[in-house]
Amino acid sequence: MPRMPKRIKFRKQMRGTLRGNATRGNYVSFGDYGLQALEPHWLTARQIEAGRIAAQHFLRRQGKVYIRVFPDKPVSKKPLETRMGKGKADTEYWAARIKPGTMLFEIAGVDETVAKQALARVAQKMPVRCRFVGRRLSV
Amino acid sequence: MSRTTPSIVARRRDRVGTRYARRLRQTGQLPAVIYGHGAAPLAVSVDQKQLLTVLRQGTHVVKLDIEGEGGETCLVKDLQFGYLGDNLIHVDFTRVNLEERVTVHVHLDFVNTPASLGAGSLLTHDHSELTVTCRVDSIPDTIRVDLSKMQGNHLNAGEIELPPGMELAMDPGTCVASVTRIRTEATGEAATVVAETTPEPAVIRERKEGKD
Repeated sequence: MPRMPKRIKFRKQMRGTLRGNATRGNYVSFGDYGLQALEPHWLTARQIEAGRIAAQHFLRRQGKVYIRVFPDKPVSKKPLETRMGKGKADTEYWAARIKPGTMLFEIAGVDETVAKQALARVAQKMPVRCRFVGRRLSV
Repeated sequence: MSRTTPSIVARRRDRVGTRYARRLRQTGQLPAVIYGHGAAPLAVSVDQKQLLTVLRQGTHVVKLDIEGEGGETCLVKDLQFGYLGDNLIHVDFTRVNLEERVTVHVHLDFVNTPASLGAGSLLTHDHSELTVTCRVDSIPDTIRVDLSKMQGNHLNAGEIELPPGMELAMDPGTCVASVTRIRTEATGEAATVVAETTPEPAVIRERKEGKD
């Protein structure tokens, strides 16, 4: 089931712009390995779900998959053959705003080779260039 | 701390700021700052490769040989990374005495497997490091955690055996490692039914129509 918010304050949002790089959610926090986005994009709830299914089907029942992004932006779309005007259309899908550096998925409980293979399959489902990363240095 | 304190050569930085820091990084140097013990903060630069080699070994304390100013024993307080998280851009050092007690994060080295881990269950490491208070000269590189001694499905921070003289500086009830059963997903018709009946998000506060 594609993800979406349970409660919202406003039904529709302005489009906004995606500027800059990720300053939060840009390192592996929960798992051991992660998939990091290298480009800005709107990631739809369906694409996130496709990535989750790809990872879990590959891992079978070995590891744990963490989804680090949530589609909280409603995107509206006018129906086909509709004249312009008459107000903003209804929500078509939900999307997560992805900036370069955002950690999309994380995997725990499997070794590096398996995690790399699983996240490579997830990367195929993503609309952005991604890379495989491990935990970063900390003190 | 199982070995002698490693030494790193540092140079004083006279020019500070984004532009000069960027130029330093291009030459393989890393901008850093030393503060603490009531003395004025000192902007320095260190060799990036040398520092990374030391940090990858889990070292917390280094001896900085500052050119023209003598040596200072420092604790690595903070690391700053670029937006992709792989390039180190700045380091914070704090002055310490080897006898004083400090609070640091020490990596956990998990060994063996718990007895409760079987088919259909998964071992997750919820925390990869422990916050402890100890003397500067006795900060370990890692703390070894033997998971075969794990009682039940959870290992809390308070249950980990710490070296003598070391105190836990975090909630002892924090789960460090756990064994969880893997849930099976709803597939086929059940999943389709759930997807079809997905509710719309509830609006918390609607605008009142005809308010004006």
